[in-house]
Amino acid sequence: MNADNLELTERLKLIESMLAEGRRRQEGWGWTFVLWGVAYYIAFFWSWLGRFAYAWPMTMLAAAVLTGLVFRRRRGRNPETTMGRAIGSIWTAMGVSMFIVLCAMGFSGRFFNGHAMIAVFAGMVGLANAACSMTLRWKAQFFCALLWWAAAVVVCYCSDAVLLPVFLVAVFFGQIVFGGVMMIAEMRRRKQSGAVNA
Amino acid sequence: MPEMPELNPVIHGKLRLALLSLLSGVDEAEFTWLREKTGATDGNLGAQLMKLEEAGYVAMKKRFVLRKPQTLYRMTEKGRAALSEYVDALRQLLGAGIGG
Repeated sequence: MNADNLELTERLKLIESMLAEGRRRQEGWGWTFVLWGVAYYIAFFWSWLGRFAYAWPMTMLAAAVLTGLVFRRRRGRNPETTMGRAIGSIWTAMGVSMFIVLCAMGFSGRFFNGHAMIAVFAGMVGLANAACSMTLRWKAQFFCALLWWAAAVVVCYCSDAVLLPVFLVAVFFGQIVFGGVMMIAEMRRRKQSGAVNA
Repeated sequence: MPEMPELNPVIHGKLRLALLSLLSGVDEAEFTWLREKTGATDGNLGAQLMKLEEAGYVAMKKRFVLRKPQTLYRMTEKGRAALSEYVDALRQLLGAGIGG
């Protein structure tokens, strides 16, 4: 390959890398997984202490407000993309659905036991993760969805004694570990990006 | 022998090409985001963006968010068509180069 071709190939690679950069999918979203993972822990322990009716709605609202505030601050820095809107829509729709369903069940007193609540919860989080992974064609997130779906099935059959550990393990790996890994990957990517000179 | 396409000189500059490629993947982007992604200096970035704007490939708008000024750039239809033509020409040239 001669020098001219080499330069042209470089141009083509530059276009591809910048396109990928512009469409960077989950950039800066790792913290949301960690934040919500911690929020789930707080809500669960709070409800475990006997404040079930208020623990979940209040913790989820606080986490939603915090997420909204951080996104508002970051919106100027990260440009809006169709992919970003699609992913945001999936999580927002899941959050609203979960809030409505769990609140209605909690306040109406028709939530007969914790197994059903966690199964509904895990199923919905699994749904959102699966939808995102299919949109992004991201296998790692699909494994996350599988983990949540598995948790949804396990809590339907497990005893009361293992209900809490199953939930805590699913939150730990599906939210906190997954979010932490994303944050590390984001930091590495930021360090690797070099300058483009005219 | 088929005629070889010419590469658009406005787009051919490395930084301008990087900017157009970045903008093609987003709705609109702030100056600081483009600077972060390209690693270019303010002066160089501003100059290259102005050249793209003069060619009609990008459009600029200013707004205030929480009293802070923001400069946003978006790719125009003309810019999108030019980038697409440039990529086609590049592929054609590379194909001819590799083949010949």
